[in-house]
Amino acid sequence: MLASNRRNLAIFFLVFGICLTTFAVALNVGWILLSLEQIALLVFGIIFFALIITGLILNTVFLFREIRRNEQHDAFINSVTHELKTPIASLRLYLETLKTRETDEEQRQKFYDTMLADTDRLHRMVEQVLFAGSTGDRRRRLHLSKIRLNNLLQDSNEAVRRRYGLDKTALDLQTDGEVRVRGDAQELQIAFTNLLDNAVKYSNAEVHVAVKVENVSEKQVEIQITDSGIGISQGELKRIFRRFYRVPGRAAQKVKGTGIGLSIVQAIIKKHGGRILAKSAGEGLGTTFIVRLPKA
Amino acid sequence: MKILVVEDEQSLAEGLRFNLNAEGYETKIAPDGETALTLMLSDKEMFDAIVLDIMLPGIDGFEVAANLRQAGIYAPILMLTARGNAEDVLRGFESGADDYLSKPFELTIFLARIRGLLRRREWLKNEMPVEKPAEDSFSFNGKTINFQNLELKSGSETVRLTLMEAKLLRHLINKAGNTVSRKEILEDVWELHEDTDTRAIDNFIVRLRRYLEDDPTRPKHLLTVRGIGYRFLKS
Repeated sequence: MLASNRRNLAIFFLVFGICLTTFAVALNVGWILLSLEQIALLVFGIIFFALIITGLILNTVFLFREIRRNEQHDAFINSVTHELKTPIASLRLYLETLKTRETDEEQRQKFYDTMLADTDRLHRMVEQVLFAGSTGDRRRRLHLSKIRLNNLLQDSNEAVRRRYGLDKTALDLQTDGEVRVRGDAQELQIAFTNLLDNAVKYSNAEVHVAVKVENVSEKQVEIQITDSGIGISQGELKRIFRRFYRVPGRAAQKVKGTGIGLSIVQAIIKKHGGRILAKSAGEGLGTTFIVRLPKA
Repeated sequence: MKILVVEDEQSLAEGLRFNLNAEGYETKIAPDGETALTLMLSDKEMFDAIVLDIMLPGIDGFEVAANLRQAGIYAPILMLTARGNAEDVLRGFESGADDYLSKPFELTIFLARIRGLLRRREWLKNEMPVEKPAEDSFSFNGKTINFQNLELKSGSETVRLTLMEAKLLRHLINKAGNTVSRKEILEDVWELHEDTDTRAIDNFIVRLRRYLEDDPTRPKHLLTVRGIGYRFLKS
């Protein structure tokens, strides 16, 4: 069924639910007026109608939530389809170009670099989707070891810097001595790379991301990732960790994404006994992600 | 020949530019819809064809196509879609695109489609009617459709037709008096061979009726044949 048909049908049922609720309230008021003199009937009627009205309201609210969830799901499928097919299209285009056209050595090398970047992108997207599928699995086990946090953050910085072709000053890492955490190195790498990738993606033309590591107590370390990007309004700060959720508004929608990155990050940090929160002074004023992890 | 590639994926855009240049076309890249609209609407830069991605940051491809058509820019549009579902394709045609290609695509097919688009105006001008005379211009009920420059004149009023509107109209005029099914229109006019929703055609017919009929709510020329399709009657 077409999305527009589905939306029309959903709107019809929403309006239908609201009309039924209004009708039930009107009946209830009528019943009260008619039965004022018969207390038993009045009480029975009020309870009965109250139950019907509650049922109708709950039904409408759940319907509305389901519609929203479906729309987010559709948007996710569209983004993933786009993110998978675009690098494949690019790879195919360059392979066909190399096969059918005369190219000089310099051009060929440039094409190979583009193709490698496309395969990296494809690999990241596949990993992200597979990982998102496994985060809900409670039996998922971590491969724990003692990790040097500074090295891990340095590696994530380097990966993101290379991905976007940024110079060294764009991503600044400030450490607080050597800190070790106990965790799954691969998963923590995914989490911090995701956060840094977001910080760069949602930055304006000039990228400046500060990563600060601080020993907040004997047991905990705090990592702050601050960008000077498009920011997030107060109302959206809690919603951004929901799976498939994407911040509405033109500035955020200009950046492509699937809406699963931050939900993956939160799942990883929670699994490691830590917590994550986001702070922003508002739209256009940058964002800070604060991660707290237990030390090893 | 000058072609605009509206594509936010730099690698894909550069690959397309390389190949279009190699074919002898002058190519320009717009990384998003806003840049494309600025180029054509504000800077008044003219292009012979436009390659337009749907999923663009900010304004999407559908909106770009609709804005261009509304502003009277009728350069043929080849739409690129990653999703490739019938809904996207039909929505693209409704917003004014002339052809589509699903990603990933074959380079040879992409280049053939571009050549086809550039040729299509000529093709529309020179197409030989199959059954009834559908000349470069066709007149009825005080209205004249000029297939050469895609214009419909009604008294002093002139309406610009998109390539697809003109193609659909020509198809119906060629089969004047006969009922043409929606499926046939999809296959012959849009070249879609899917068992798909045909309501996009209905929207095109509504638009054409607004141009052609004295009272679009009571059509006398573009008639609906219930459950089947449409029939064109000259008088």
